[in-house]
Amino acid sequence: MARSDALQGALPMLVLKTLARRGPMHGYAITTHIETLSSDVLRVEEGSLYPALHRLEESRLVKARWAVTANNRRARVYEITPAGRRQLDAEEKRWHAVTLAVTDALERI
Amino acid sequence: MSVWSRFTNLLRPGRLDRDLEDEQRFHIEARAEDLEARGLSRPAALEQAARQFGNRLVLRESSRDVKLVTVLESLWRDLKLGVRVLRKDAAVSSAAIVSLGLTIGACTAAFSLIDALILRELPVRDPERLMYVIRTGVKKTGESGEATTFSYPVLARISQTASPQLEIFSMSLQSLRQAVLPDAGGVEEKLRAQFVSGNAFPVLGVTAAIGRVLTPSDDVTPGAHPVAVISHAFWRRRLGGRPDALGQWIQLEQRSYQIVGVAQAGFTGTQPGALTDIWVPNMMFQADSFTAPNWGWLQVWGRLAPGVTSDEAQPIVQTALMNFEAEPRAAEPAPKRQAAESAIAVRNAATGLSEVRQQFERPLLALAAIVGVVLLIACSNVANLLLARGAARTREMALRASIGAGRGRLIQQVLVESSVLTFAAAALGVAVAMLAVPLIVGMLTTNENPVYLEAQLDWRALMFVAALGGLTTMLFGLAPALRASAAAPGVATPLGDRLHTANTGVARPLVAIQIGFSLMILFVAGLLLRSFDRLLAVDLGFRPEHVVLLSVEARDRFEPAEAQTIGRQLLERVQSLPGVESASVSEWALFRGWSNSNDFGLPGGGLVQTRRVAVSPQFFRTMGTRLLDGREFEPTDSAAADPMPLIVNETFARRYLAGERAVGRRLTFTNRGQTVSYEIVGVAADTRDGSVRGEMRPYVFTLTGAAGGTVQIRSSADPRALAEHLRAELPRVHPSLRLVDVTLQSSLVGNTLLRERLLAVLSGFFAALGLALAAVGLYGVSSYAVVRRTREIGIRLILGAQPAALMRSVLGRVALAVAVGVVAGLAGGVYFARYVQTFLFEIEPASLSSLVLPVLGLLAVALIAAWSPARRATRVDPAAALRIE
Repeated sequence: MARSDALQGALPMLVLKTLARRGPMHGYAITTHIETLSSDVLRVEEGSLYPALHRLEESRLVKARWAVTANNRRARVYEITPAGRRQLDAEEKRWHAVTLAVTDALERI
Repeated sequence: MSVWSRFTNLLRPGRLDRDLEDEQRFHIEARAEDLEARGLSRPAALEQAARQFGNRLVLRESSRDVKLVTVLESLWRDLKLGVRVLRKDAAVSSAAIVSLGLTIGACTAAFSLIDALILRELPVRDPERLMYVIRTGVKKTGESGEATTFSYPVLARISQTASPQLEIFSMSLQSLRQAVLPDAGGVEEKLRAQFVSGNAFPVLGVTAAIGRVLTPSDDVTPGAHPVAVISHAFWRRRLGGRPDALGQWIQLEQRSYQIVGVAQAGFTGTQPGALTDIWVPNMMFQADSFTAPNWGWLQVWGRLAPGVTSDEAQPIVQTALMNFEAEPRAAEPAPKRQAAESAIAVRNAATGLSEVRQQFERPLLALAAIVGVVLLIACSNVANLLLARGAARTREMALRASIGAGRGRLIQQVLVESSVLTFAAAALGVAVAMLAVPLIVGMLTTNENPVYLEAQLDWRALMFVAALGGLTTMLFGLAPALRASAAAPGVATPLGDRLHTANTGVARPLVAIQIGFSLMILFVAGLLLRSFDRLLAVDLGFRPEHVVLLSVEARDRFEPAEAQTIGRQLLERVQSLPGVESASVSEWALFRGWSNSNDFGLPGGGLVQTRRVAVSPQFFRTMGTRLLDGREFEPTDSAAADPMPLIVNETFARRYLAGERAVGRRLTFTNRGQTVSYEIVGVAADTRDGSVRGEMRPYVFTLTGAAGGTVQIRSSADPRALAEHLRAELPRVHPSLRLVDVTLQSSLVGNTLLRERLLAVLSGFFAALGLALAAVGLYGVSSYAVVRRTREIGIRLILGAQPAALMRSVLGRVALAVAVGVVAGLAGGVYFARYVQTFLFEIEPASLSSLVLPVLGLLAVALIAAWSPARRATRVDPAAALRIE
């Protein structure tokens, strides 16, 4: 249940991945989805999702708008942008490269 | 995030906070619902959801920082980038800043002056309810005009009958008077004084800063109220703003007055353009005036009672005046000069009543129009410059667009750049305006009629500058911004430039507009300059150069015989001063602005009205006026002889004594029941007086019998040396003689041409500015046309095109725009020339000579502006041009 820093840094990527896979959704839906993705292992402070989301919004990797849910409540819905997709692509490739290199190095030792 | 929402976030953090809270609340409630679905009670679910969420306040702070700091950061980055871009293109940027700055400065200066002189209301209670009375009508000489002064008996009558609808008070015309201040050790200086009725201050609603203001009890008995109120500005400037100024005595001409109060700050009288230093009660004016029904020296003002309109007040005043004039008068058997049909008008006085305004209102407005047009030229100029630059940066913009900068970001960047430019221009403009306003006021002011305007750069002028700045930013900021942000990413590639060949479509009409406006102003300025030139060349009938005027006043009153003797001795002394070619004395100087008219009886019967002035022997020789017949006055002539000697001017002789020789004829003059006769001893050439334009009037010259007057000296010596010599000689003639003023005859003449000079000089300056701007614009557009088509030119050169044909093709469209501009400008100029018709003198706007010169001038400048780019077109290196690909 410990907070994993390495996975903290991966939060923006997880968000982008979620939005890319599942389309536009609001913050809570993103949270529950990430939980299922990482099978409840990482239990970050839930609220810290939002500063990350806003940073993504400022960097134009996602865009947001206000919407009304089925229950007539006001929710902010996020959607990935083309720039976001390109960023996700690049980041994923980088992660894989790093992981590969590390695994490789570990095997040689 | 759009540009707009970024800025609103900055300005309205409240809304941002609410949004963040809403988002957090939605999450917590959703989490609580899920927990409830798993069996928790509602309160426990909420509590756990909140705990899981984390520290809401801290998280909101983080989000806020993200949103706001980014805005500021991006603005800061754009600012630095903008400054760098402007520095790189230093020539273009400084051209834009200077041209815009000069015109903003000129606009602000014009606005400040117009505000101070025309728009600003008096700082009194309820200025909208203040009225002044004027008489309009046709005088016996055939001139129509307005008279703002009335006599004391008229004032008394109107005061009586007009109340309670109109609470009447009076202010005299402001005049410069000799004064001695308590700390001056006897040295005289000039103060601007006004006589006011006792109720003037209370009715105006002006209070005292220290002490008290004048009240009705100070205005009861002639000569019995030696009290004065000084203005706040005068108190600070001359008496150091010290409270011990109260109670001090000021000597004003022959009388001493005790200062009983200082008026509230900001009140400087009721005449914009003329600041009053000191107010004294009506009763302290010359005693003869209180019973003289025709001695006009007061302005009649009033405050409308609540509920009364000026339309209702007007007939009341009119009736009072007509009744007054219809009454027979004991002391005046012959009807004095009355207005044949005079109408009384009651006008709103919220902005004061000012001669300066009457003189300069229309010229200032005309100049403001010219300046406005120049601003348009400057704006379109800068728009062109930035359009061209924006097009050149298309590649850079497209690159930024391709890596994710949205349209909003690009627009923000370009707007920030434009704002930097505008702020720099506005700062320059404020500096220019601060210099220009005193400069222009200095051009309007003369020693005889100093003009004082509190034309500070107040907040209204600043707002105007800011609005101008904002408007110009939008005008030339948005167009390039929209164009640059519309660049599709494909433009970033080298071939991309070709996709934007069509974008100088806006530049050419702009050129036509600039040329057109510039020609219009050039044309109008040309008219005004030539008109002024003609005025300067008018034959005055005398030669003002080298004539020095010295005003000599006699403090004591003399018997006629003694006065005459003293006057003669004065003249002799003056004539014997070193360096004096000739000298004379007169009642006042020509072009001083004073005049006197009397009715004279002709030999064959009948009365005619003519101007008159008293002069000494040698007057015409000193002034340089020809004598057509007869002689000048001689020292042997006496003002006590019978008949008295008289000299008439050419117009008088021609109009009233035609057919016979004027010399030797006799005229009569009746004053207070006594008739004296004059014999004409000479006929002088016509001289102009009071105005360079207009018809010549009949004039008679009588022999002066006064002790003092205005001394004219024709001499090449230094006027100051002459003044010193005269000052030293005066006590030897008589101890009560004083030298009170020194001026040049040419200055007096020049003073009447102030309006025309102002118009000529300033319109000339702005025409030159407009022309320079148009030239810069033309240069820019031509350059850009060449640069844009460099490849095409290179290819055509290789294929053997002739340089001349090449130039014609590349610049042909620009030349067409210039031609269109010239035609439009001429049409516009002739159309608007009618508005300056009143200022013109002997110039026909639609004449060939007026049109040809400005057009030639403009074409010459256009040619020079387009020359360099045209030559560059022919010098294009084909190989280099093709390599751009």
